[in-house]
Amino acid sequence: MGVPYVPIIGLIGTDILKRRLDMKIVENPFNPDVKTVVAQSLRPDIAIFHAQSADKLGNISCGYDAEVVMLAEGAKHVIVTVESVVDKITEKDSVGTYIPSILVNSIVHAPYGAHPSGCAGLYDPDKVHMQAYVKASQSEETFQEYLKKYVHGISSHEEYIDMAIPDHIKKTIK
Amino acid sequence: MMTTNMNTYNPVELMVVLLSREVRDNEISACGALSHIPAAGMLLAKELHARNAELIILNSIFNPFKTSRQFHYLAQRGELGLFFVSGIQIDQYANYNLHQLGPDHAQPDVRFPGGYGGGLIYYAARRSVAFRTEHTKRSFVENVDYISAAGSSPEDTLRLGGPSKVITPKVTFMFNRKINRLELESIHAGFTLEDIVNNTGFAVSNEHAIQTAEPSELELYTLRNIVRQRMINTNTYAKWAENSLN
Repeated sequence: MGVPYVPIIGLIGTDILKRRLDMKIVENPFNPDVKTVVAQSLRPDIAIFHAQSADKLGNISCGYDAEVVMLAEGAKHVIVTVESVVDKITEKDSVGTYIPSILVNSIVHAPYGAHPSGCAGLYDPDKVHMQAYVKASQSEETFQEYLKKYVHGISSHEEYIDMAIPDHIKKTIK
Repeated sequence: MMTTNMNTYNPVELMVVLLSREVRDNEISACGALSHIPAAGMLLAKELHARNAELIILNSIFNPFKTSRQFHYLAQRGELGLFFVSGIQIDQYANYNLHQLGPDHAQPDVRFPGGYGGGLIYYAARRSVAFRTEHTKRSFVENVDYISAAGSSPEDTLRLGGPSKVITPKVTFMFNRKINRLELESIHAGFTLEDIVNNTGFAVSNEHAIQTAEPSELELYTLRNIVRQRMINTNTYAKWAENSLN
C-alpha cells in the first residue's frame, strides 16, 4: 500500500461516490471500453498503533493477524507502541503478523498501551472503562472531565497504569 | 406462526429456508456482520443440497481468512458466487440504503452505521440476495433516501454481478435485469396479493407470481436439530439460534 491509487469494482451509482472526492470513475487503460472506480491512496504523515512486542531494531510481532501492516506500508512515519521490547524478533518467532523494521521508524515501550482496548492474546478490552468512556462522551462537560482524569492530569505512563489498569488485566502480563 | 399443510414454522425459519435454497453447491457464499438469517441459511444448505459449498460467515469460525483484505480481493477477483445483504430501505431498482434516512443528505433524520464493504461486494459477487425481515411501505420504497449500493450500473462500467433476489417474510422478489426492476416471483403461504400491494411502497408487478414452495419437513427438521445445534456449538449467533430456531 502507499501506491498512487487502487482500482475498485463497485460504488458506481451510489451516494457514497458523490461525496468522495478521492475516488473517480476512469477508463481501464488496458481496456478502454470499460470504466472502473479508482481510489486515491491514503498516505498518512504518521501512523501509530499498538503491538505485542518489538526488538531493538524495530521488528514487530503484532500478536494477532493484523491489517496494521497496510498502515505501516502506507504511512510516512510509523510509531509502534509495544507491550515488551526483546532482543531479537524474526518472522519465524513472530506471533501473528510480522512487520519488518524497514517499515518502522519508532517504537515506544508502553505496557497495557492498548487500554481500554484489548491486546490480542494478552488481555481483553476493559468493558467497565469502555462504558464509562461512552457515558463521559455524551456531553462536552463530562468528556472534558474524562480527559482531565485520564489524559491531561496524568504525569507518566506508570501513573496511568497504577490508576487505570484493573488488577485482572495486570495479572495477564508478568 | 404459520400453519399450513402439515408443517408449522415461524417467519424467521421460513426466511432461513428460502435463503438456504439460494446457496449453490461448489460455490463460495458469504455474509457480513449481523447476518443471523443468512448464516443459518448457509449452514442449512451445507447440510442438504450444497455439501461442497464454501461458506464465509464474518466473525465466526466459518471464515478461512485472517484479514479482511483477503476477503476483499477474493470478491474483487469475481470468486464470490453469492453474497447476502440487507438494507434499512430497498427500492424497486434493488438499490439499498444502509446509511441514513431523510431527504437532505447533509442533515439526515437518522444515521446508521453504514455498510463496510457492501458497496463493493454488490458489484463484485456474481449474485447478491437481499433479505429484509420487515416487509412494509417504509422498508420497501419507490426510491431509497440514500443509495449505499446500486442495483444496476451503466453498461460501460465494470461489474461482475448484481442483485438476484430480495426475500421478505411475505414474498420473494426477483431482479429482472432487462428492465432493472424488482418483480414479484412468489408469494409465501398465508399472504394474498392484496397484502403485498398494501405493504409495498412501489408498484408490484405480479404477472408471473406463483406461491412459494413451503419449507419441507426435511428442511425444518435439519434446521431445528442439526443447524441449530451447530450454531450453538460453534458460537455462531448461538443465543439467536437457541431462541429463534425451534
